[in-house]
Amino acid sequence: MGKAILIVDDSASVRQVVGIALKGAGYDVIEGCDGKDALTKLNGQKIHLIISDVNMPNMDGITFVKEVKKLANYKFTPIIMLTTESQEGKKQEGQAAGAKAWVVKPFQPAQMLTAVSKLILP
Amino acid sequence: MSLDLDQALQTYIAEARELLQDMEDSLLRLESDPNDADTIGAIFRAAHTIKGSAGLFGLDPIVSFTHIVEDVLDRVRDGDVVIEPNLIAVLLESGDHMLHLVNVVAAQGEKLDADAIKREGGLRIRLQAYQDNSSEVSHAIQVEAEIPLQSSGGGLVETDNWHISLRFGQNVMRDGMDPLSFLRYLSTLGEIVSITTMFDALPIADEMDAESCYLGFEIDFKSEADKATIAGVFEFAREGSLIHILPPHSKLTEYVELIRSLPESETRLGEILVTTGALTQQELEAGLSEQQTSARPDGSTTPLGEILVEQRSVEHEVVQAALDKQTQSKDSKSKENRYIRVQADKLDELINMVGELVIAGAGVSLLAQRVSDNPLQEAASVMSGLVEEIRDGALRLRMVPIGETFNRFQRVVRDVGRELGKDIELVITGADTELDKTVVEKIGDPLMHLVRNAMDHGIESAAIRQATGKSVKGTLRLNAYHDSGSIVIEIVDDGGGLNRDRILQKARDRGLIAPNVTPPDQEIYNMIFEAGFSTAEAITNLSGRGVGMDVVKRNITALRGTVSLDSAVGQGTTVSIRLPLTLAIIDGFLVGVGKSSYIVPLDMVHECIELTENDRQAASERSYLNLRGEVLPFVMLRDHFEVEGSGARRANVVVVSCAGQKAGLVVDELMGEFQTVIKPLGKIFSTLRGISGSTILGSGEVALILDVPSLVQQAVNRESQHVSTRQVIH
Repeated sequence: MGKAILIVDDSASVRQVVGIALKGAGYDVIEGCDGKDALTKLNGQKIHLIISDVNMPNMDGITFVKEVKKLANYKFTPIIMLTTESQEGKKQEGQAAGAKAWVVKPFQPAQMLTAVSKLILP
Repeated sequence: MSLDLDQALQTYIAEARELLQDMEDSLLRLESDPNDADTIGAIFRAAHTIKGSAGLFGLDPIVSFTHIVEDVLDRVRDGDVVIEPNLIAVLLESGDHMLHLVNVVAAQGEKLDADAIKREGGLRIRLQAYQDNSSEVSHAIQVEAEIPLQSSGGGLVETDNWHISLRFGQNVMRDGMDPLSFLRYLSTLGEIVSITTMFDALPIADEMDAESCYLGFEIDFKSEADKATIAGVFEFAREGSLIHILPPHSKLTEYVELIRSLPESETRLGEILVTTGALTQQELEAGLSEQQTSARPDGSTTPLGEILVEQRSVEHEVVQAALDKQTQSKDSKSKENRYIRVQADKLDELINMVGELVIAGAGVSLLAQRVSDNPLQEAASVMSGLVEEIRDGALRLRMVPIGETFNRFQRVVRDVGRELGKDIELVITGADTELDKTVVEKIGDPLMHLVRNAMDHGIESAAIRQATGKSVKGTLRLNAYHDSGSIVIEIVDDGGGLNRDRILQKARDRGLIAPNVTPPDQEIYNMIFEAGFSTAEAITNLSGRGVGMDVVKRNITALRGTVSLDSAVGQGTTVSIRLPLTLAIIDGFLVGVGKSSYIVPLDMVHECIELTENDRQAASERSYLNLRGEVLPFVMLRDHFEVEGSGARRANVVVVSCAGQKAGLVVDELMGEFQTVIKPLGKIFSTLRGISGSTILGSGEVALILDVPSLVQQAVNRESQHVSTRQVIH
């Protein structure tokens, strides 16, 4: 069993590609298609890292992060936000909410792996 | 793994196409309601996702173009750019171009053609007008975030190691960061020569908070990596932490600055630096004394972190209010979540299996009946009830509302309207009407043709409309509804209607109608579905080349559907397409003629009556019955299919209706409802009239499915012929 990473993005292709890269590096991957959906995936299981997009329907990434920080089991789980260069404000909002790491979109799978390995090793 | 990636790419292509469609719909909505923040948000998100995902696959052309679009949309969202028709036009075209780019990716190995490159150039220039020219903001912030380094003279330090001072913020663990993981990652970039843990900040045990981090590290590090890479290691921990990185051979003064800025005492730090070999004793002494004489005010770095934190907490509250508001409006449409994307062929497979299950179930019921074992019969009937529900459920999986297809035409009507210089409004009704996905996919092209035709030839120019006292704005209506087992799609325009005389003339010229015969108007109108039939005086690039209407008809016939047309001069034209709801399984009504069994689609069955002796005698001389005072044309299936053997003692009439016309089918036996899995007939049987398919009964026998529309048509025609020949005789 590798370490579990929850990837939250409304784009199925992003989830798929990130999933392939992470699985290739030895992590277990759980997917959530928006903030609301992702919260339901957090049902007590051990998750070592969360990767979340900012712009999502139903519940955006910032709100999601705030919700995660309220959960006793997950408040110390590191969170990587996916931001874009044009969203400096969003990045800061994300950091204020508790997501201290970020990867700038568009990114290559290798960049994601680098960011992840700064935080946890497989 | 490359196979997986390829699959992911396919997902991306499908996703991007869907998003572009959404984006287009939203843009059109924005045209009528430019201030709808939700819609603007949706458009932005579409572009954002397309760009973000394209980057993953290294689809640079899409990334670079979409980036500009996203940028403009971002400014729209922030209210910096006002929505006006030109902007929407540019964005619509940009959407088209993005779709083109996606399609190029989909058609692997294809290159972007010269036209597209030219188009992109034009779009870029037009988009730039809406972009913010002072985009240095983000750069400025990045520079600010760099760790400030002082360089004010002094000698260079000997060592060729990097020196890194880390004082993690107390919150680092609460933020989910493990200080150790950064060090582990650092060690992948080079060799950690020495590391000293600084625990001076540790409070006494009573005051210690287990969740806080009190640790610091002094690290000497040997690496070929550049400064940005090494700084990048601690990127995520920078907030609230003190991080100093000194490259090899840094100036002595920089070390002194470092010592000054760290919270621990100068002596203690100096000792550590000397013991780890970062500095020599001489270097340290020289540096410290030099600094004292220049008398600079110290402690320049610590407040920075504090200021940042403070700044954020202020921002935090303002932002929170705005965010709460945003989520409220988003919660209302929590629809997306509930979909699962399933491959179409998996669904087809399921439906095929359900079909087999239905047949097998019928077999079991039949056996149960034969052995006349009551409990077995009961069990079989419960099972067949369930099978029926499964069948309906499985078929419903493939049903989609036609609204999505209709909505595509908003754009078509808008663009074609502009091209033709006509102001035409599209009104959509019945968008919720559901039909089989395969039918939806195939109906797009014929609809497109009919819509364009209606706009080009149907609706008159504004001048003519004004002259005839109509409103200047033309109306095109797309309507859909269910009608006895079929879905009917109507394309209605309020134009000038068809020119009956010209069509008749043309049909006679082409020998389609004999010179002395004048068929009913409806028949004349339907001539335009014949191959090579066009009465348009001017050929535009949209329609009127005489190809198309016959293709439309062929496509619809291929779907087991029919198309008909009605028109009133000066008032408009209505084209009705009638399609079966599903192509797989139907509820049938089983009837017997001689030894053969036939299926009538149950939705078309109106009632069953007995064929009385009177009727039977009358039937030999006329081809209609008296149904409670109504004229009911009928077909003797026995005669029609030339079934051998003498007729049954008692015959029944199944009254069916189709497209507003009723007819009777005379059969020997009524055998009740039957779930019918449609099996197509082979090519050999394609010329047979009155049969649309076959099915397998529980007993394993084959039953033919009647083509009710054609039988009804035949009965009606024969009846009217009968009437007319009799008129001639008398």
